[in-house]
Amino acid sequence: MAKKEGLSKLSFVEIDSSDGVFRGILLPSSNDETLFLKLDSGYNIGISRKKVKNMKKLENVTFEEKIKAPIPRNPKLKNITILHTGGTIASEVDYKTGAVTSRFSPEEIVMMFPELEGIVNIDSRLIRNMFSDDMNIPHYNILAKEIEKEVKKGVDGIIITHGTDTMHYTSAALSFILEDLPIPVILTGSQRSSDRGSTDGGFNLACAARFIAQSNLAGVAICMHASSSDDFCNIIHGCKARKLHSSRRDAFKSVNDDPIARVSKANVEFIKKEHKQRDSKLKLRLRLFDEKVKVGLLKAHPGMKADEITFYSKYDGLILEGTGLGHFPVSKIDEFTSENDKIYNEIKKLSSKIPVAMTSQCIFGQIDLDVYSNGKKLLGAGVIGNQLSMTPETAYIKLLWLIGNHDKKDIKALFSRNLRGEISERILIKKDFLK
Amino acid sequence: MEDYSKIGFKCGIECHQQLETHKLFCNCPSLVNDPSTPDIIFERKLRASAGETGKVDLAAQHEMSKGKKFIYEACSTSSCLVEADEQPPKKVNSYALETALQVALLLNAKVLDEIQFMRKTVIDGSNVSGFQRTALVAVNGMLETSKGIVKIPTICLEEESAKKIEEGKDFVKYRLDRLGIPLVEVSTDASIKDPEHAKEVASLIGMILRSTNRVKRGLGTIRQDVNVSIHGKNRVELKGFQDLRSIPKVIEKEVARRLLMKGYHPAEVRKVEPDFTSTFLRPMPGAARMYPETDIPVIKIDSNELRKIKLPELISERALKIEKEFNLPASLARELIENEKFMDYVLAYKNLKPSEIARILVEVPKEIKTRFNLDIENLSEESFELVLGALNSRKIPPSAVIEILSKAAEGKKIRMEDYKSLNDTELEKAIKEIVSSNKGMTMGALMGIVMSKFKGKVDGKKASELIKEYM
Repeated sequence: MAKKEGLSKLSFVEIDSSDGVFRGILLPSSNDETLFLKLDSGYNIGISRKKVKNMKKLENVTFEEKIKAPIPRNPKLKNITILHTGGTIASEVDYKTGAVTSRFSPEEIVMMFPELEGIVNIDSRLIRNMFSDDMNIPHYNILAKEIEKEVKKGVDGIIITHGTDTMHYTSAALSFILEDLPIPVILTGSQRSSDRGSTDGGFNLACAARFIAQSNLAGVAICMHASSSDDFCNIIHGCKARKLHSSRRDAFKSVNDDPIARVSKANVEFIKKEHKQRDSKLKLRLRLFDEKVKVGLLKAHPGMKADEITFYSKYDGLILEGTGLGHFPVSKIDEFTSENDKIYNEIKKLSSKIPVAMTSQCIFGQIDLDVYSNGKKLLGAGVIGNQLSMTPETAYIKLLWLIGNHDKKDIKALFSRNLRGEISERILIKKDFLK
Repeated sequence: MEDYSKIGFKCGIECHQQLETHKLFCNCPSLVNDPSTPDIIFERKLRASAGETGKVDLAAQHEMSKGKKFIYEACSTSSCLVEADEQPPKKVNSYALETALQVALLLNAKVLDEIQFMRKTVIDGSNVSGFQRTALVAVNGMLETSKGIVKIPTICLEEESAKKIEEGKDFVKYRLDRLGIPLVEVSTDASIKDPEHAKEVASLIGMILRSTNRVKRGLGTIRQDVNVSIHGKNRVELKGFQDLRSIPKVIEKEVARRLLMKGYHPAEVRKVEPDFTSTFLRPMPGAARMYPETDIPVIKIDSNELRKIKLPELISERALKIEKEFNLPASLARELIENEKFMDYVLAYKNLKPSEIARILVEVPKEIKTRFNLDIENLSEESFELVLGALNSRKIPPSAVIEILSKAAEGKKIRMEDYKSLNDTELEKAIKEIVSSNKGMTMGALMGIVMSKFKGKVDGKKASELIKEYM
């Protein structure tokens, strides 16, 4: 609403310029040389100030408030709370000025997404209004505390609207924080903003609500489009999701495992049979992040220098994103590879001080440091994570969380233990691993 | 006929012209009809969301009320993620923008200092995104017509919509090949005087667009929408004219229909039918449907760069030159100018008079169409060159031209030997024989025999002289 107040001072003006007379709403301008006008036809145009001979205000532009009808609660439906963190899903365009405003009250959400009506009873709250790429570790703790409040109120499920860029980090983080979570917490968002007719946000939100209404799962998951069509959403385990496309609706894929379920307009179809059930006896415990802990994430690449590793000597942990099965350039082969010896030594030195864990930039598949000599060397240097299958992002969140919640001596062992279903114990045979 | 000034006749035209370049916001080729088999299919739903005023745009609401599912078919040859609304638009096609600026300057319009692409809400499914990207490029242009100046308030650059290929009870199917092709939209004010004037204005705008040599040609590449209103009745937009000639008739019918209507009728969009009547398409969309395309930065127009844009010579000016140079009738010159090869032919076939070449290129195909009802679209440049070449080297008589080109229009194979001119001795010998074996026949009957036997190979005048001689 803040933005709207700022715009309420707009005026309808007439500009006499050397290119002709223009009438329209004077818009806030991004530069000093140009006046921006929204014409009656709806087009926005820019007129150079130099050409303006005269400008007069004809009238103030007034905004009509939308009528907000309270939504009656249906006792037969489950009660959910939508916690908003921002992103494009709840934004709406002001057609008078073209500015984007955000709407978060339950009435506004239902008005924007009428498809939600009749699936669940909605409560709704704004936690933050931010791009997910600006999100930081403290935000995970804030969100977890808000979730705890809702669980104590007795809601049947929670939807978190979230920017998509780091949604999979947040879903992993919440998976670790929320110990013994008795209800489903579903993160969703949109790849196409809600102002357009083609937005995926409404369908994603409705599928998340339908999943909560029709399933008995407890835990953290992501609900986003399964394909480019508006026909199914996938429910993906909070620790196994990854954004694999910069712009497609079906950007989120389940890595090393099937999605938990598929949700359509009509029903919920479980793909994975085993999952945690809702249980009112479960008592939620928050295991928050220690906001002072520093963990790095470093990607192996040709031309790597040892000081890239040295940089992390003041960190509390480091995730390596190796090539293939989990490799870094650590062997000197000829006169061009002498840096590799230094890299090896730096990794070894670092591993003796802090946990250094291997993941793969291949994203899919398991780490195996027993196959090639470089892997064996890294293992010998004290790198952990052998024969695990976690995405680099989940591994990063896990290590960060472990360091803040456990004794230093236990970290290495706990990193390899499957705490929240983040490790795929068996990677099943698929004709196509990514489809 | 109505006295249009007395019934408060107001009329304006919008011309939408496809440009001959790749798509406006991606690098896909602009294939209006991609011949490939669609290899991608996906389904979407579109939604109308209420604007700040609490009102859903009337046109948008009308579409949403249909609640249809949209099925999209695409070919990888002509569509990418941009058409599928799965990737943000790339930078605007600079060639298309320059073309729009050329058109603006040719229409004496003022190019805006900053151009902002807008999203125009369209939720009938014809735009996968739910909106059409459109920018106002120039304002306050004008056009000189036989009935005075017609103002051109706006010139826009926008993207073409997808093609509807099937509609069922609960779905509409579109193909994406056409989606995103750049369109220049030229709109006039409502000062068009009468239905015939509307046709003239549309044809002048078409001429200016074609003068850039950067526009697509052929059926469907230019479309006219006509806005009409009369005293006491709301405006109506008639959409989907493809043939200029039908404009006056459709307007006359719509005006007659409007004059008979009683009571209040909301503004609406109507589709032009082949029988020159029109049917209801949707309510008139409001200005409420536009908001900025935030994925495309505002384009600053540098006045120095603008001055550097080369303007093509108008077709009408080129026609005037040809008319004078070759002493051709004005109408013939005008049609010729659209034939890019005419000047080449004048230079290549020196034994032929320019007026003769002009006649073969322009008049002969028309005659073939009216006389034999043949599709002259089939006539290729090669056919014309074959005929002109043979005529130039006197291998065929002028009378063979229409014969050969009719065959070509039918798609039949042409054997030039069949039309070879008989030389004088061969002709004399043949006529002598015919006359002697048909004694007692009239001149006319003999002429009939000769002409049917040597159809296209002999000159009629010469034949009749020879018949007279031997009779």
